[in-house]
Amino acid sequence: MKKVLLVTAVAAMCSHSVLAEVNISGFASVMGGKLTSGTGVPEFGLGPTFLANYPIVGVYEDEWTFKPDSKFGLQMTADLTEGLTATVQLVGRGADDFEAGFEWAYLSYELNEHWTIQAGKKRLPLYYYSDFFDVSYAYLWVRPAADNYTWQIFNYTGVNAQFNYQLGEWAMSGNIYTGREDDGENKLLSEFFGSQPVREIWKDIVGGVLSFNREWLDVRLTYMTYLNERYRNGVQVTWDGKDNRRGKFAGLSANIDYNNWLLLSEVNRLTLDGGDFDTYLISAGYRIGQWTPYLSYADFDSEGEKHNTASLGVRWDFHSSAAFKFQFDDVTDDGINGGQVAGDSKAITLGIDLVF
Amino acid sequence: MNWFKVITLTTALTATAAMAEVAVIVHPSNAATIDQAEIARLFTGRGTSFNNGSKATPLNLAESAPARAEFDSKVLSKSSSQMKAYWSKLVFTGKGTPPKELNSDAEMKAAVAADATAIGYIDAAAVDDTVKVLAKF
Repeated sequence: MKKVLLVTAVAAMCSHSVLAEVNISGFASVMGGKLTSGTGVPEFGLGPTFLANYPIVGVYEDEWTFKPDSKFGLQMTADLTEGLTATVQLVGRGADDFEAGFEWAYLSYELNEHWTIQAGKKRLPLYYYSDFFDVSYAYLWVRPAADNYTWQIFNYTGVNAQFNYQLGEWAMSGNIYTGREDDGENKLLSEFFGSQPVREIWKDIVGGVLSFNREWLDVRLTYMTYLNERYRNGVQVTWDGKDNRRGKFAGLSANIDYNNWLLLSEVNRLTLDGGDFDTYLISAGYRIGQWTPYLSYADFDSEGEKHNTASLGVRWDFHSSAAFKFQFDDVTDDGINGGQVAGDSKAITLGIDLVF
Repeated sequence: MNWFKVITLTTALTATAAMAEVAVIVHPSNAATIDQAEIARLFTGRGTSFNNGSKATPLNLAESAPARAEFDSKVLSKSSSQMKAYWSKLVFTGKGTPPKELNSDAEMKAAVAADATAIGYIDAAAVDDTVKVLAKF
């Protein structure tokens, strides 16, 4: 995973050159899939569709496609010594035609053995898998269930403080963060849930994550609040006459990895405009040597939008840096009053995840 | 479920056949004591010091070194794939950096002998008096 290069970086502000150690690492997924059946949503004119990834609009249809879940990422970390590092992560996703962009770019400073301060652009650590969503090698499935990971904003620019403490047998870690995200043309809202360009702003973001680990148990708490503003076609959207609205997100996750059994779960609630958007995910797997067959069930429930996905799959760690995965997903869309998303669908996906 | 037992048994036998003792080593001047849970904390990035408060720098063997798989399985109770997935999550979220890797028992011994904060491991048969053994697994 670690390739060390010695590069000479000439600092523009200094008259002398400095030697920085740069670590290069990366991840990639090549995944193909197709629908085996689907209803689509006739009233929206939408054909059979499996919406595998909401924020980037990763969709599988009747024909084989490699776009929705395939991606590559390259991370470079320059160690500027004395606890200071600079990291950039370039990610190209099939759903965006592999146009690579800087997904992460931040400076990190280690204050002491317990605290590290980071500033720049990072992933929002909302759900359990949010901040390593693209690094599919690091989790069991082809992707974290779409029914949970539905939110249109997944990055922020701001400041993050993370910590690490040992409390007896428990390792406690977490972070607190603040920042904002202004997405000029939000893909999910502009292309999938509408046909006009939507600028989506999440500002005054304040959140925190607290995790407790002990041998085979991992418990994580997450909370975040933000102020939402939105422009459709350049015109500000109002909600009950107000030009902004506050969202509050809270979640709890518990994961167990015991005697080759894996039990993964999370439950989350977003309160927005007085409405509750509830999500949960439960998954079980059993490791048999290099093979891990698994089952999962994920659910989204709000006033109008209601859907769930039951999945069955297997992960095969056939190589020390790569895993083959095969997954079958069965989506039920019970949306009412126009709350349907993509209709019912069944789909298969298979391919390889790797890290280097 | 017979096929299931066969697979489990085969895996267990294959693993046992390759087993050799792993020695966890430090610099000869290091007076700390350590148990398995503390070693696991250091090698998973959850701890940074010995129980006497002095700084600890964990050093890992590369995957090509035979003692690496032994250490992962006996001390960390994980496969090397699981450890790679674990570190991937931390590396790509900016939460941690895996221990530096050395290619062989000889390189590990030399690195540990040269650094008073180092903690590493080698095949127990390769131990000599340039390093101090804290534990064997």
